[in-house]
Amino acid sequence: MPIYDALYDYMNDGRIKHVLVRHEQGAGHAAEGYGRMTGDPGVCMVTSGPGATNLVTAIADAMMDSVPMVCISGQVDSSVIGTDAFQEADVIGITAPVTKWNYQVTKAHEIPEVMAKAFHIARTGRPGPVLVDITKDAQFEMMEFSYPDNMTLQSYQPTTVPHRRQIETAARHLDNAERPLILVGQGVQIAKAQKELQSFLEKGGFPAAFTLHGLSALHSGHPLHVGFLGMHGNYAPNKLSNKADVVLAIGMRFDDRVTGRLSDYLNDAIIIHIDIDPAELNKNVPADVPIVADAKIALQELTKSIKKNTHSDWLGKFEELYESEKQKVIRNDTHPKTGEIKMAEVVTLISEMTKGEAVVVSDVGQHQMITARYYRFAKPNSWISSGGMGTMGFGLPAAVGAKFARPEQEVISISGDGGIQMNIQEFTTLAQEQLPVKVIILNNGFLGMVRQWQQLFFQKRYSMVHIQSPDFVVVANGCGLESSRVAERRDLKRELEKMLRHKGPYVLEIKVEQEENVFPMIPTGSSVDEIRLS
Amino acid sequence: MKQRYTITAIAENKPGVLYRIADLLLRRKINIESLTVSEIEHKGMSRFTIVIDAERDLVEKVGKQLYRIIEMTKVIESTDDELVAREVALIKVTAKTKEAREEVEQLVRLSTGRIIHVDKSYLVVEITGNESEIDKMSELLQLFGIKEIVRSGRIAVFK
Repeated sequence: MPIYDALYDYMNDGRIKHVLVRHEQGAGHAAEGYGRMTGDPGVCMVTSGPGATNLVTAIADAMMDSVPMVCISGQVDSSVIGTDAFQEADVIGITAPVTKWNYQVTKAHEIPEVMAKAFHIARTGRPGPVLVDITKDAQFEMMEFSYPDNMTLQSYQPTTVPHRRQIETAARHLDNAERPLILVGQGVQIAKAQKELQSFLEKGGFPAAFTLHGLSALHSGHPLHVGFLGMHGNYAPNKLSNKADVVLAIGMRFDDRVTGRLSDYLNDAIIIHIDIDPAELNKNVPADVPIVADAKIALQELTKSIKKNTHSDWLGKFEELYESEKQKVIRNDTHPKTGEIKMAEVVTLISEMTKGEAVVVSDVGQHQMITARYYRFAKPNSWISSGGMGTMGFGLPAAVGAKFARPEQEVISISGDGGIQMNIQEFTTLAQEQLPVKVIILNNGFLGMVRQWQQLFFQKRYSMVHIQSPDFVVVANGCGLESSRVAERRDLKRELEKMLRHKGPYVLEIKVEQEENVFPMIPTGSSVDEIRLS
Repeated sequence: MKQRYTITAIAENKPGVLYRIADLLLRRKINIESLTVSEIEHKGMSRFTIVIDAERDLVEKVGKQLYRIIEMTKVIESTDDELVAREVALIKVTAKTKEAREEVEQLVRLSTGRIIHVDKSYLVVEITGNESEIDKMSELLQLFGIKEIVRSGRIAVFK
């Protein structure tokens, strides 16, 4: 209450923009959307007890995906902490495992230093969520305010400059490689090193494959971009990972969705692994050359140290396999002639209509993988999704945060019919803010990814995956949003154009093929080169 | 293969550090065999000595993950042969008769222990040593009947 009373004085003067969301989880994901787009922590503020516990999913999501975020939670009066007071929850205890740092303020004079520390920790090194819990009495106290100019912490000094000798060793391996492969992760986006990545790749002539979060670090149409890694990624980079003789992984953490069966992953390659978090090196995949560094500095140093080179035969292998993926999967997914609308053709159309220049925010599930596969990203860091946690309900609120961060860029939120219902209350936030986010709901009447697994691995025993939806157009209208629905291919382009032309927020529901599957696919427990095209 | 490791962690003496250490070990399902914490030569810094049984690879990974704790400055994983380690135990032994008291006294004199409290029906023996020395002593004193035993947990310096 005291903090919100103070905010009253800032309501209309533009110094602090407060967005009233409809659920604390929405606040958390919106802060993530902002943090992902800017590199500066998004801030969310919640009340004590249930307010704080509702935020936990978003905090865990931010922790997994290294998103800078500062959460401020109210807390009961310090004199009653521990007595099971009204709306008291042990927020510090609950959030410790999912925050980079957290702290409980019980005296007003602690606030400046703690807040400075919170922002410093959230945005530097490997970014992450920080929570500051402020007791009611500390909120009421008065104090002399002075904000610390710069923050250095004795015990927290992330290494950003790579070890010279390690860079030299890595460069020699790359120079001698016949079949090099670069695995690009979100670390490159966080370090804002997209240009450095491109120079590095072009000098060495290296093919680069991307993790889910790495995807927009290089223009999707770049000749050295060989696709998306992992379970539903592209055929070529998965199939050829195990053929590479030198693999450089940068700003990525060898997630199990990327590596497939670990015992059959990159066994014959020399592995160079660059990450700012030392705990990621040798965690899942042992590195021959581990390098702790900021991705930008490491790429600059490496570019200087490597020789100019090309690998056209090796790149040709990727092209060949891409061609077979195109014949067997892509062509029919993106340009079907008959049948119901397919998710991939929607994404392809949006990609063409926005020239790949939109910020695309997905939810979690089949549509997420389809969007990652088919949107052709033209702008750096223009793709947000919940990766590590796979949090359904992430997309819509994250798009809210993204739009505040990139008001000039088109922001398109793509969700499934399952995920959108998990934070659909944020429709009203869009309406209240008149925030021109374009929301697409790809409705197939199923929790599609689970249904796909039940079809492929559980003999089509569809268990609790058929999901009824409300009339989304009515819901959107009821919340004060323009909305329409499309079910026929011949109307699709027109409706998408209408949505994009519309000045304010818009919700477009698209009825898509009910039992569409996402391929290629690496079944769980299989090796990356056992990737299936059907 | 599981082996005994001692993790020595130096961190700022701030609330919540132990919570995060314990949480990390819990996530990896590592049981803490003993734990001691105290302030060290640098003011405001604490030294955690944590004894665990685990596989080498896991211990190394956990060691690196401990660095993610903002207040952490140093983490070292050691095997027993890399350390000079001690532990203190207080053993409350039943000794109701003069003979019993004399026998305990004799036993203690032959070891590194000493008697620090005498009562009508019991003695309190303090013994400092490595874990096996303490095990041995408590085994011997068991013959008289142990009412209570408390061990401090390991403290250790590097060789």
